[in-house]
Amino acid sequence: MTHHPSAAEAPRTGPVIERPPLAPLIDVRDLAKHFTMRRRPPVRAVDGVTFRVAPGELVGYLGPNGAGKSTTLKMLTGLLVPTSGHITVAGRIPWRERRAHVATIGAVFGQRTSLWWDLPVIESFDLLRYIYRIPAERYRANLDTFRDLLDLDAFLQTPVRSLSLGQRMRADFAAAMLHDPTVLFLDEPTIGLDVVAKERVRRFVRHLNAERGTTVLLTTHDLADVERLCHRVLIIDGGRLLYDGNLAELQRRFGGRRELVIDLAEDVTDIGGDGSANRLDDPRFAVPGADVIARDGPRITYAFDRDATTAADLIARVTQRLRVVDLALKEPDIETTVRRIYEERLLDGA
Amino acid sequence: MLLYAIARQSFRRHLTYRAAAAAGLLTNFFFGIVRVAVLTALYDGRPEAAGITLPAAITFTALSQAVIGPLAAFSWFDVMRSVHSGEIAGDLLRPMGYLTYWLAHDFGRALTQFLLRGVPMLIGYVLLFPWIAPAGTHFVWPQGGAMWAATGVCAVLAWLISFGWRFLSNLSAFWSPDARGIIRFVFSLSWFASGFLFPLRYFPDWLQRLCALTPFAYTVNAITEVYLGLQQGGDVVRLLAIQAAWAAALLAAGALVLRAGVRRLVILGG
Repeated sequence: MTHHPSAAEAPRTGPVIERPPLAPLIDVRDLAKHFTMRRRPPVRAVDGVTFRVAPGELVGYLGPNGAGKSTTLKMLTGLLVPTSGHITVAGRIPWRERRAHVATIGAVFGQRTSLWWDLPVIESFDLLRYIYRIPAERYRANLDTFRDLLDLDAFLQTPVRSLSLGQRMRADFAAAMLHDPTVLFLDEPTIGLDVVAKERVRRFVRHLNAERGTTVLLTTHDLADVERLCHRVLIIDGGRLLYDGNLAELQRRFGGRRELVIDLAEDVTDIGGDGSANRLDDPRFAVPGADVIARDGPRITYAFDRDATTAADLIARVTQRLRVVDLALKEPDIETTVRRIYEERLLDGA
Repeated sequence: MLLYAIARQSFRRHLTYRAAAAAGLLTNFFFGIVRVAVLTALYDGRPEAAGITLPAAITFTALSQAVIGPLAAFSWFDVMRSVHSGEIAGDLLRPMGYLTYWLAHDFGRALTQFLLRGVPMLIGYVLLFPWIAPAGTHFVWPQGGAMWAATGVCAVLAWLISFGWRFLSNLSAFWSPDARGIIRFVFSLSWFASGFLFPLRYFPDWLQRLCALTPFAYTVNAITEVYLGLQQGGDVVRLLAIQAAWAAALLAAGALVLRAGVRRLVILGG
């Protein structure tokens, strides 16, 4: 299993710095949750998952709908009792020591608010101050920080039921962090938010992780969240953990081919002798190490493997042969990569 | 401190639903007047029935209508809804006891209801008494400071018992998607056995004894008995002690059943 002791490291840019291994904050071994239903075979929502998360990591937990993400998260937060396996967070078994456990964690569920529906935001916070027994000066300091970072002032006095989704999420984030939890569990924290609101939430999560050292486990369907925030991802499907590693590695192994799109000086549409138009194997455009995958008037698209040839080489070869007026390089995006992983079951048996 | 904070928030929260409280008050008030008319007709000129005089019976009507709000006598599905909607997950994610949270919450609710519906109801009946009661009679008040105090303690214990069985019946939501039916059934039992519709003294002996086996009898009926002075001295103390025992038993049962419920909790969603 490869994982990085600190989220502060950037696996893409530098060598991995060796550090003494920290005791894992989250330790999950052979975790399983089977739901039994009358007259039906049991649903293996989580089926033998093992992973560890070190203090200060920011980990993305990905998988298609029904993969077992939320079930895992519910076991980690103490809301579900595992069918079998081992689970500790900060040395505690979540479901067995629920109250002690939940006092040290934060959780934000994008689908529902944890605030009191008919109370003004500030009064919800005030109630949380008592529930978590937050010392007064700590509460003040945190509230001031979050008001600033999440821009809460405009709606602190507004009842939660009257907030917009973006405002509600910001309030929920502040509420989850008022008691300085060591771990933050996020379930779809950006779902339904607009681009600006999403970015604000991501900035806040990054701040928590970098400045406060909060360990974050995040499930999401928005891969931009993962790309902006996480160095390490876990991929789960069918209740099984399929991948545990860094994002760059995932992209390298399963990312589709890169594409080079060129625009030629003239329209090269032609009809072949057999009546076919724009043949992809037209020898005029053949370049070693790349395949023509599309032609449209003066525009030709090549696909190539990052292992087989570099973009610079390919561009050199193409421009040597053809009169190119414009070109663009397209990286396969993580979205496509993960979709391929789900759809083509690339990780099965991994 | 936490309980106080929860109760205070709950109190303020329920205060925001003043229009609903006013509507409830008005409905209860007029329905109470109808009940008074029925009772007066049943008394048919008799000075008393089962030891209760007509003015005391009218006062009883005012009392029982006044506790509808504070004791949530008609319906209470809050915990059931929280379980069915999965909101309970949010509460379980907080370092607090679920039962104590709801207890404090319900205390705030009951207090709001007492001030917004209970007190105005009694005032309304006092003001209207000359028109709805026989001439020369008066609204009945507890006799002396000790009885006032006993009535207060009795009312708080009645609220605890009422919370106890409401909470317990709501917990059926853990096991049944149709808990509403179960809870409704328990409520309809309570209207009868709690002495809400009529003081239990009106019932035949065997029925009174049957009702006294249930916790319901120690809510509205207990308040009626102590308030109207139908029980005196040692009997009042005995009644309060039985109330306290019922409250303790129901809360303990609530805690146990809650634990079993949480254990089998499955919150839907992938």
